[in-house]
Amino acid sequence: MNVEITGLTRCFGRTTAVAGVDLQAGPGVFGLLGPNGAGKTSLLRMMATAVPPTSGTLRLLGRDPGSYGPRREIRRRLGYLPQILGYYLGFTVVEFVEYFALLKEMPAARVRAAVAAAVERVELGGKAKAKLRTLSGGMLCRVGIAQAIVNEPELLLLDEPTAGLDPEQRVAFRGLLRDLGQRATVVVSTHLVEDVGAACAQVALMDQGKIVFHGTPADLTARGEGHGIGDAPLERGYSAVLTGVRS
Amino acid sequence: MTAVSAPAARRPVPATRRPGLATARLLRLELRHNAMLWMLPVVIALFWVTTYRKTMAMPPMWNLRAASMQSGAIVDFITPVAGAAAWMGSREARRHICDLVTITARPRWARLLATWAATTCWALVGYLGCLAVLYGVTAHQASWGGPLWWPAAVAAASLPALSALGFAAGTLLPSRFTAPVAAVVAFFTLALSTQLTVGSQSYWQVSPLVTGPWDTGPDAGVATFYPDLPDLPIAQVMFLAGLTTALLAALVLPRGSGRRGLRAAAGAVTAAGLLAAGTAVALAGTGTLDAHGMIAIPALHDVANDRPVRFTPICSHTSIPVCLNPAYASYLPATVTALEPVLSEIAGLPGAPARISQAAATYQQGAGNSVSVGLAGPLISGRPPVYYLLLPDQLPGPTMAASELAAKVQLGAGPGIISTFIGDSPRASQAQHAVVAALMMAAGLPQHGSPPGTTPAANSEPVPSGHSRCESPAARCAASSPGRAAGVMNQPPEVAPGSPAYAAARRFAALAASARHAWLVQHLTALRAGRITVAQLP
Repeated sequence: MNVEITGLTRCFGRTTAVAGVDLQAGPGVFGLLGPNGAGKTSLLRMMATAVPPTSGTLRLLGRDPGSYGPRREIRRRLGYLPQILGYYLGFTVVEFVEYFALLKEMPAARVRAAVAAAVERVELGGKAKAKLRTLSGGMLCRVGIAQAIVNEPELLLLDEPTAGLDPEQRVAFRGLLRDLGQRATVVVSTHLVEDVGAACAQVALMDQGKIVFHGTPADLTARGEGHGIGDAPLERGYSAVLTGVRS
Repeated sequence: MTAVSAPAARRPVPATRRPGLATARLLRLELRHNAMLWMLPVVIALFWVTTYRKTMAMPPMWNLRAASMQSGAIVDFITPVAGAAAWMGSREARRHICDLVTITARPRWARLLATWAATTCWALVGYLGCLAVLYGVTAHQASWGGPLWWPAAVAAASLPALSALGFAAGTLLPSRFTAPVAAVVAFFTLALSTQLTVGSQSYWQVSPLVTGPWDTGPDAGVATFYPDLPDLPIAQVMFLAGLTTALLAALVLPRGSGRRGLRAAAGAVTAAGLLAAGTAVALAGTGTLDAHGMIAIPALHDVANDRPVRFTPICSHTSIPVCLNPAYASYLPATVTALEPVLSEIAGLPGAPARISQAAATYQQGAGNSVSVGLAGPLISGRPPVYYLLLPDQLPGPTMAASELAAKVQLGAGPGIISTFIGDSPRASQAQHAVVAALMMAAGLPQHGSPPGTTPAANSEPVPSGHSRCESPAARCAASSPGRAAGVMNQPPEVAPGSPAYAAARRFAALAASARHAWLVQHLTALRAGRITVAQLP
């Protein structure tokens, strides 16, 4: 398993963002659904080793991120796209992706080719030399994805990756997700259930810091049968689960 | 595609890691996108306006220009370097990129160190460019000596320290306001720190702005007859290096920044850096003003530096040669012009000096920041006798134009030479007073109390308030910035207009030069012995 989580909890002051989550994930695309404030981003940040858990155990790529050495090794094999992508205005697309390739300690000899490949993969080859300040929101999102995948991560964590992408780009992105999921564990946090339906083999639904559903998109769809809220079968399953939990 | 049952994917075999190459590429990226790069034109303009022009207006002497460059360059670089470093230090938080960089494998300290190094590199590039121009031009103009590297090293060591301070501020308090606040605070802290310097035994001398006895400014009198003392610069560089090391090593201290062993080592390095900085401060506090005008720190002092510098003086081809240290070669024409009328009056007379020779100044710390400067030995000594003088520029204070220097030499050394030659003093005879006054009149030296349009009666060198003039060979002139008691030595007593001595002086001065000379050849010994009366003067 690339992701093994047991009883994971994260508190920020008096607020419990993640409350005793258990989760396991191997290679493939894993969808993380949930309403605002459900704890998806906090869970992803813990999985990205950005913040340590308050309690519980977390093993990533077979290693314990609580220790420095294993954490560094995990980080070499990790890709992460945060919900809000910060960037340096003066960097070009290539420079920004190269910067992260170097920070991820990729072998220097492979950096140039890896950067070019990542930029091409998100279809920004034509904008490779453009300054980030000149790019649209959708293009910036793709730059964020490029930096996340530049090191060919074994664990890829994407927080709301399709926000800002136009429908055509979203379709292309789902294809990319499926491709990446062939050999890596890709965890995608999203509000957009159609992304999950199209790209994810497994899906978990979070609410109030807990996993309230874990299964395949088909299982989630099945949970929505006979439920009235939602335009699509998956949406109906999503709202049915949440309604059931809250009642 | 399944999310739960497949085994973890195997990573492709990585290519050989070459940390040096990756670090170099990271540094290249940081260099291309560093705020200090954009500040360079500002720094260079500041340096040109406030330091270069001021320094180039000084005589082409390494001691003056190096000291002026050290303080000036640091003041010019404080604000831009501290500000740019703080801006770069706060960059990750300002650009909301903390999570993204935190989860990368490269340690935080290594990442931040690359950013700091790029900032410091640009600052050093700017500084070295300014230094190269200033020292290059000086090398073309200076008549003697070579570049003083310790002042250059202190200024160079200041930049990493300023950069580290600004960077630490930006990292700890990331905000868009951190950079301007850090720039202003750094400027005022450094500039005001020197105000606390009192006397040569002050801990505040460790401030890199201090180049010697505080409040005297660049001093043409030091580092010419004796080597430039590296004691205080060594303490300053030690302080700055210690501070820089401590600040940079502290980057590794936060939890998660590295392995426990690395963090422990960083803690030790931080402590060592602080210890070095503290030791440097303590050493600076033991510094004393030495006799040659520089700060000597006993623990760092090399006695070899107390030996005078060997040099061949440059001399004029006048009736009595005037010889100066070659470092002051540019002053020779003005000095000769000022003294020639006096020298021609006494040349060839028995006991006349064989030459006028520039002497080294000797310094003594006074109360507060005042410094006494004077001749260590007698004004005249040796066989044949040599008359020793201090050039006004050897005394602390603003440097002078050639015309200013000539006027001061004429007013100070001219009467001194005549007075010493005749053996005049307050206890001397009226005839001696009269002859001295007559020779001064003949040499065209202005004298106090003269009616307008007539030859003045007595020498008067206005001495700035609070300063004293040298009245005897062993006396010292108290001098502190901005004034100076320039070369005013062994001044003759005043001859009051209307007195018999004054009348005799006018009478003697009115004689032809050859007649004065012939009379003095015949009667000089008796005159010096006090056996000639005013009435006996022709």
